[in-house]
Amino acid sequence: MAGQLPYDNRPWPERRDAALQNQTMRHTIGFVTRRFTLIKGEIYRTSPDLEASRKTAVGQKRQAIRDLPQLLEQFRNQVERRGAHTYLAAQAQDAVDIALNIARSHQAELVIKSKSMVTEEIELNQAFEKAGIPVRETDLGEYIIQLAKERPSHILAPAAHRNRHQVEELFQADASREKISPPQSDEIEDLTRYARSRLRQEFLRADMGVTGGNFLVAETGTLVLITNEGNADMVTSLPPVLVSIVGVEKIVRDWASLTEIIQQPAMSGIGRHLSSYTTMIQGPKSPGSVEGPREWHVILVDNGRMALRDTEFEDVLSCIRCGACLNACPVFREVGGHAYGSVYPGPIGIVETPLLTDFQVLPELPSALCTLCHACQEACPMDIALPDHIISLRHTIVKRHLNSSTVNWTLRTWARFWSTPGGYRRSISLARVMQRLSGKKRNAQGLFPGIFAGWGQTREIPQVAPKTFHEWWQEWKERAEEK
Amino acid sequence: MRIQHAGETFRKEDEIPVKVQLFVSCLADMVRPEAAIAAVHVLEKRGVGVEFPEGQTCCGQFSYNAGYQHEAAVMARHFVRVFESGTQEDPTDILALSGSCAATVMHTYPGLLYEDALQQGEPETKAREWKKRAEAVAGRVHEWSMWLGEHADQPMAPNGSPLPVAYHLGCHMRRLLPESRKAQDLLRALGIDAREPENAEECCGFGGTYSFTEPVVSTALADDKLANVQNLVQDAGAVCLTGADLGCLLHLEGRLRRQESSLPVCHVAELVELADQNRLTPDQVRQLEQGGGK
Repeated sequence: MAGQLPYDNRPWPERRDAALQNQTMRHTIGFVTRRFTLIKGEIYRTSPDLEASRKTAVGQKRQAIRDLPQLLEQFRNQVERRGAHTYLAAQAQDAVDIALNIARSHQAELVIKSKSMVTEEIELNQAFEKAGIPVRETDLGEYIIQLAKERPSHILAPAAHRNRHQVEELFQADASREKISPPQSDEIEDLTRYARSRLRQEFLRADMGVTGGNFLVAETGTLVLITNEGNADMVTSLPPVLVSIVGVEKIVRDWASLTEIIQQPAMSGIGRHLSSYTTMIQGPKSPGSVEGPREWHVILVDNGRMALRDTEFEDVLSCIRCGACLNACPVFREVGGHAYGSVYPGPIGIVETPLLTDFQVLPELPSALCTLCHACQEACPMDIALPDHIISLRHTIVKRHLNSSTVNWTLRTWARFWSTPGGYRRSISLARVMQRLSGKKRNAQGLFPGIFAGWGQTREIPQVAPKTFHEWWQEWKERAEEK
Repeated sequence: MRIQHAGETFRKEDEIPVKVQLFVSCLADMVRPEAAIAAVHVLEKRGVGVEFPEGQTCCGQFSYNAGYQHEAAVMARHFVRVFESGTQEDPTDILALSGSCAATVMHTYPGLLYEDALQQGEPETKAREWKKRAEAVAGRVHEWSMWLGEHADQPMAPNGSPLPVAYHLGCHMRRLLPESRKAQDLLRALGIDAREPENAEECCGFGGTYSFTEPVVSTALADDKLANVQNLVQDAGAVCLTGADLGCLLHLEGRLRRQESSLPVCHVAELVELADQNRLTPDQVRQLEQGGGK
């Protein structure tokens, strides 16, 4: 069954232009992504012995996806054996309903969250706010964009599009609303100190915690979270009720597989061997222990994922959300995450968004936001065939008649002319006629048929040579024969 | 086999000249034939016989990457027929004047022709036969400058300081053709100081039909690329922008001209020919742009 994903309903040209006009964002995103790419390359280069581990991780993850139904059942059995609850949500709305029911049954008044992309995907915060239950994001980046009332622009670094001056402004406004002392400056340390003391109060007050999950170990029913701020430790240990919402594809078979794969997100995402904190949850608080939630609920989200198994796109389910493909993508560096209009931007986003929703939302993504430069293929630690998938999705777009008639006409006419030498010669004569008609005028794109006109909007159109190579060769050959 | 050079022709007297087939690419044929003509001269000077199968048109990459796989397959089958004819007993290397086209023939054709045959209702045996034919042609394809660097000795670089140029290594050549960075060694051996701009691995924004259908983003990427190229002009005295892919080069050139810049843009074959003729000077490079180099 197709999944549901939220999307920005502004048309692509509007999203694109808004992004390209935002010079601060472009500068910040360009800097951050190039830096991440650089340090990622550096760590793999200086740890060549870990290449074997990466390859093992890829193989094991592929197998886990093939065995997904059995592994999910094993995971659920293990979790429930320890007195926790599991649910399988077929679609986004189901996951939201389950989470809301849990919150309501405990009369939750404040929910704290650690960073989670799947809760962005199901729009959990919006649903909770609508139900009158405030939600507080505790990851620094998520907290920033929550104050800014934005969506994440990057799957790993949600506030990567904002610089520290902009963050300070948000914190200043928050401080004056809350009547607390504002950050002392826009230095990173002062900003972090502010967020830390501000969030501390909410950690202590909250009665429900929500997490995502980086890995689910089927063998033991363990949820693994990796963070760089330690906030997941607080979210999973302070509130009495814990709800973990995780995509079904996060399954790994056992601890041996976890050991291979756990380094990959940090190495590929932030160029470090391991994230600062690794949090493991294996059931609610047992009698006699002092820490941990009284109740633990695990909501496993399908939302279009299971339908990708046994298709050419199955490897997409191996994605570990490291963000390396976003960082390496020249288009992402140019327009940033919000221009995509999906919670999943970048190369993986333009593949997953149409796939998870069966082209119901943002079908333009594979064509509009990729030059097929293959940088993502090179960057992906899980060897996901992103460029091949993008071409294949473009093919699906053609088959489903989702392209404009101009594009269809151009590509079909083009192939008709160029599949024979005679047609090819005729097309050159035609191009010469058009060129004569347009003279040396600039912006003569009106005379060029189909999609070719797009070139002339921003670039001079190359002139057809007075003598093509074919024509030159004829003469050259004749001259040679005369000799 | 390695072609030696001796005296004026860089050719060993007793060696039987090898023969290659040239795939010039639609873009070189139509708008930059000087690149293909230079490629012929350079090969012949090294004693390599050039055959130009005249039925050739386009590799079909534009269509394939835009999602029009059947249309691409029609052009791919034409390519295979053109380049396999008359070569059964004596298969020659096919030299493509584009890294990107070479990558398409090498990596895309076999799977594409297999799939398309099945899509068109052909039996499995026929599909497999197309795949085999495509693989045979794909195995003969090389990018022109990489082949030249690997198979032919170059004349001695002239004395004096090498000529600095900005070198653009296109994404497909960079990422899909193994060892493609060696293509620059050929230029260095000839006294051309090929320098890559900062963020060289970043796409120039051409992307085939992407440059037509998404001109805004395509141009934003070109502007980033050109800013780094201009830095090479200012800081290193680069006299032109060159590369082995005319798609990228024409896109960047079109942008430069729209912005009233006269920085020369040329295919590497044109520079190699200048080097062969001992005419490797900033003035001669500027004349390439005006078609005066021939």
